[in-house]
Amino acid sequence: MSDIANATSTRQPASPDLSPVARPANAEPWKRKDRAQVVGVSLSAILPALFTWFFGSTLALDATVAVVAIFLPLQLVASAAMGIRIFGRRGIAESLLITATVLLSLMVSVLLLSVLWSVISAGAQTISWTFLGQNNVYISPTTSLEYGGVGHSIIGTLLIVGLTTLVTVPFGIAIAVYLTETRGKARGAIRVLIQAMSGLPSVVAGLFVYSALIATGITQYAGWAGSLALLPLMLPTVARIAEEALRLVPAEYRNGALALGAPAYRAFLQVTLPAAKTGIITAVLLGIARIIGETAPLLLTTFAANNTSFNLFSGSMSSLPTYLYQYISNGNDTSTQRAWGAALVVLILVGILFTTARVFGRAKKTTSKSLTKAKSPRKAN
Amino acid sequence: MAITTASALHSENVNVWFGERHVLKDVSLTFPSNQVTALIGPSGCGKSTFLRTLNRMHELIPGAGFGGRVLLDGDDIYGDGVDPVNVRIKIGMVFQKPNPFPTMTIRDNVLSGLKLSGRKTNDADELVETSLRRASIWNEVRDRLNDPALSLSGGQQQRLCIARSLAMDPQVLLMDEPCSALDPGSTRRIEETIVELSESMTIVIVTHNMQQAQRVADQTAFFLATDGNPGHVVEFGATEDIFERPRDSRTNDYVNGHFG
Amino acid sequence: MAQSKNAAATENGVSGARRQLVTKPFSRADKIFYRTSSVAAYIAVSIVALILIFLLVRAWPALEKQGLNFVFGSTWDSTPEKAIFQIGPMLWGSLLVSLIGLVIAVPMALAVAYFIEFMANKRIAKVATVLIDLLAALPSVVIGLWGMVVFSPIAAHWSELLNQTLGWIPIFANDTENFIGSPFIAGWIVAVMIVPIIASVSREIFSQIDRDLINGSLALGAGKASTFFRVILPTSGGGVVGGILLGLGRALGETVAIFFVLNLVFDINWGQIIAPKGGSVASMILAKFGEATAEELNALMASGLVLFIVTLLVNWLAAAIVAKAQPWRK
Repeated sequence: MSDIANATSTRQPASPDLSPVARPANAEPWKRKDRAQVVGVSLSAILPALFTWFFGSTLALDATVAVVAIFLPLQLVASAAMGIRIFGRRGIAESLLITATVLLSLMVSVLLLSVLWSVISAGAQTISWTFLGQNNVYISPTTSLEYGGVGHSIIGTLLIVGLTTLVTVPFGIAIAVYLTETRGKARGAIRVLIQAMSGLPSVVAGLFVYSALIATGITQYAGWAGSLALLPLMLPTVARIAEEALRLVPAEYRNGALALGAPAYRAFLQVTLPAAKTGIITAVLLGIARIIGETAPLLLTTFAANNTSFNLFSGSMSSLPTYLYQYISNGNDTSTQRAWGAALVVLILVGILFTTARVFGRAKKTTSKSLTKAKSPRKAN
Repeated sequence: MAITTASALHSENVNVWFGERHVLKDVSLTFPSNQVTALIGPSGCGKSTFLRTLNRMHELIPGAGFGGRVLLDGDDIYGDGVDPVNVRIKIGMVFQKPNPFPTMTIRDNVLSGLKLSGRKTNDADELVETSLRRASIWNEVRDRLNDPALSLSGGQQQRLCIARSLAMDPQVLLMDEPCSALDPGSTRRIEETIVELSESMTIVIVTHNMQQAQRVADQTAFFLATDGNPGHVVEFGATEDIFERPRDSRTNDYVNGHFG
Repeated sequence: MAQSKNAAATENGVSGARRQLVTKPFSRADKIFYRTSSVAAYIAVSIVALILIFLLVRAWPALEKQGLNFVFGSTWDSTPEKAIFQIGPMLWGSLLVSLIGLVIAVPMALAVAYFIEFMANKRIAKVATVLIDLLAALPSVVIGLWGMVVFSPIAAHWSELLNQTLGWIPIFANDTENFIGSPFIAGWIVAVMIVPIIASVSREIFSQIDRDLINGSLALGAGKASTFFRVILPTSGGGVVGGILLGLGRALGETVAIFFVLNLVFDINWGQIIAPKGGSVASMILAKFGEATAEELNALMASGLVLFIVTLLVNWLAAAIVAKAQPWRK
């Protein structure tokens, strides 16, 4: 047997060698870079900053002055010089575009991080179980932080926002249904109007409810008036994202349901809506995130309160934003501390909503991925 | 389970417009009960559109227009006072691309028609089994009825869609190129299923595949749309005649692969 | 059996003429389903209409009394007998602050959008997108707190430097020693809030540009810079302008954050952007409503009405422009 194998192999004409060759280290020639170039780019990115820092600190220069007078000119010259070295003359515009993009983006990050850091670092000093649990009764602007907190405001925010959500979500989904599932003639106009509605100034929404219900004496300051003022602010967000979610459901599922003899409402409730579930949840969460920090409409409708209230339908009510407003306005140190604490609580709530929305947005992709994975072994049977 | 008898379907002078564009002209065909009719013709000749007029799915397209009559056992399905929902319950449809409902299990997909049309059954398990058996997929899925429908392969999904239609016990089953997205093995199994099903219902199938039409159809209609003119039926008759003794030269050219 | 009304009968006796297709919902449940959804849509319209009409009715006495002076005059005096309500400084202040906000925000937003879409690798782009969305989700009262406590002193310092070096330019003039509470600072605060809006719209528009167009430009030997200014910006111009207008709408309506960082003064500040006096219609409403007399309340309604109409126009224009720039959304 082995003889034959040997014989055939020797008799065969020399066939091309098809065994794999290890991939050489330089298999991506387009990524090869001139070492001098790499060094140059790194230096032009680091040196101006280093130089500025050095001179700024030795000469005890003002930080703003140092950045504007030393760093910016230096950086621009360095970038332009590197641009010319790499690309020739057109490199000036090229490198300046890159430099400007990076610096401006950095500026945005610095602003964002500054806000986040301020809230987290200052808020963390305030937050305690007492602060989260107690209300504001018997607390004056100068009362020490060991007493009193935002417990009543958390409850108020949950109740007011909860009521708004309860009304707005079905409402918003119904509008999304009108925009995607029907052939109503006014769809284009409604879509533009919803978009325009998202620009309704929140103070105007509050003013409207205030003048219609409170100034006219129909009701006193009350939680439900606040919910009402938040409704037109939340509605466009919910309707728009829900519309997008429904639109993403392939027509073939709808048609499949209709071809089985489903009335339109059943096709929607049993096929389209479940298929759009994650998108709808995102719509709800982002809608809540949109209104959870709204201050002006609540100041005009629920006002502020010190006591804990579970009653949405009578009496003024505190909420996190109005609490924040109250204590920012006081202006002394303890009050500001309390404001930071409340800001951190709001930020945490927004963060939770935001993360959940992200997780739901991603959940869809992972399930479809795991389904394709599950499919292959079965196919083999 | 009681199986209702198949019904004959007639189209009389069916015309179709999309907006102002006339896409189908005077199509009059007869689909006798328990027979398989194949609709063939080049792309864009209006055969799929015609199929969609047979269970009133056509009108879901914005701008759709219709003229003529479609008779199911002598009753016009476009008549005044006819609920399209009831038409679609009697006349089932299987689409080109398998479209099992993604949020439902295999079992729920089979029962989805009943739920969607708001009807009840005494024995859901039996209905699931019968329907899946008739679609020749029972043996493959009997142990995982509660798996998501999307875990099936493409060919299995399409047979699940057939089972889903069968659970509604339709008198007529419309199939719009049901095998165009499938591999040869799945295609063969679905063709066998079609032949078996024709014992209990009337079947109309749109296909691009000449061999498929010859294998499954009792009669065949050849559609053609020539530049600018609306689509129409060039020739209609027994499948054998259309493929072996076509009367029209254009039919001859098409079935012998000279164009299209 | 329905017979066609059309007389054009054919040889079979059946007309093939076009007849009206019944696409209307047939069953009662479907009718309710469709009606509910259209009713919801029409209620949304009526909410906007209701707010407008209501504000107009309540505002009418104030508008009637002041006439055009309501928007051009500068006096706000609630003393009974000689009450005068005019919002000129506030209206101009809103515009000035928004304008400053746009000047600061637009370059930053475009840079972020360009960075995410054309420079960053996938992972960094994803992180940056999340951060921008997070910035958009920050409540304005939190930004207001940060603006008042953290940012105002820093920006006041910048203002001081500007005043010392460029004070001879009228817009950097400031006769007071005070640099807190200026339109410049309010503009920055507004910019922080509208950067994410402009950035995310621009990014979306950039991402829809036909890649072949960009590659075509690069293949012709054009550099990245000229591709950006000659190809990317012109093709996406409409959408970017729409995004900027959306930001403007938000800036005009901003209330609480500006309230904490701006000195509201009823005297028009035409352009001394670092002087501690400015105006904002929205913040003024918040500042005044608590102790407002009945007549003053009407004037506040009128202010709200003016603000709403302006933002409605801006947003409507923005929506129309963005929709035109994204025809696939129809």
